[in-house]
Amino acid sequence: MSRRLLIKIAVASGALMAAAAAGQSSAPAGVENPQLAWQHWTLNCQGCHRPDATGSAGTTPSLAGTAAKFLWVPGGREYLARVPGVATSALSSADLAEVLNWLLWRFDKDNLPADFQPFTAAEVGALRARPLRLEASQMRADLLRKAEESGRP
Amino acid sequence: MSVAQFDRLAEKVLRGFASRTSRRSVFSVLGGLLAGAAALPLLPVARAGEGATDSGADPNSGEPPPLSTGNPQDPGDPSKCDYWRYCAIDGSLCSCFGGTVTSCPPGTEMSPITWIGTCRNPADQRSYIISYNDCCGGVQWGRCQCQNNQGDRPVVRPQNNNEVTWCFGIQSQTYTCTVSIILGVALEQK
Repeated sequence: MSRRLLIKIAVASGALMAAAAAGQSSAPAGVENPQLAWQHWTLNCQGCHRPDATGSAGTTPSLAGTAAKFLWVPGGREYLARVPGVATSALSSADLAEVLNWLLWRFDKDNLPADFQPFTAAEVGALRARPLRLEASQMRADLLRKAEESGRP
Repeated sequence: MSVAQFDRLAEKVLRGFASRTSRRSVFSVLGGLLAGAAALPLLPVARAGEGATDSGADPNSGEPPPLSTGNPQDPGDPSKCDYWRYCAIDGSLCSCFGGTVTSCPPGTEMSPITWIGTCRNPADQRSYIISYNDCCGGVQWGRCQCQNNQGDRPVVRPQNNNEVTWCFGIQSQTYTCTVSIILGVALEQK
């Protein structure tokens, strides 16, 4: 292999690594450690919501392509932190805020509003103190219907 | 290199070799190798190695258990309840019913909805994230029960409780057994 070819390969791989680093820099806002957020998601949410967040009909709603739509309408942001699976989770409010920010980015980045402000531990802590119960599924349906009507802000 | 050139080269090498060696010396070297290979198991090093595998490690010694997966990084016997990946399991072992540690027995279907925990691998002392998928739709054998329950939460938190039968999202809701699939390495706890 000629030296010139080696140099070309080195330059090309350097450019690839730089591109990968640039891709990572668009990491989710409000997530200090994406790997830890993924681990919290895996241990506490993925079991029912499935690795691709598509859920299961009848028992677990899909998050993929849906979760960020709640942020389009009033009350949706509160719903995301008060829904039973989130509010009653074993995670701390700080970890929970990171998981919410991470999953909105990971599974529904395209629907995130441009002015999205990440969840904070204090906000999640206050919201999860009032968990939704049986009314959650009706509220979910209403919010999603309104979101589809209004469209992305 | 053409075929003729290759032929000439091979001929040259072989003729050179033949002119330098005698047939007797080849036989003596071969004989020595055969006798040496046969005598290898008699050496004390080989006998010590055999003794160690026969006796097995003391379960209370803190040493990794004897290998039976064939992979030194995955020690233990997947058909026994003390295999490291089963630390958070609650159910029957699929490796006992014609399945394996990661695959369901014939005639059953793996549930995509799972209970997930972490277990420490004795080989590298790292924690791994393990998905306990239930295999459903077969006969309810009720044997090879294994309950280790690390990280299990009360049933008021169903998403963190492993007593729930996770036969959801598939045809049958009849529980048969549970597999243990590694999803990744867990971050070290601070």
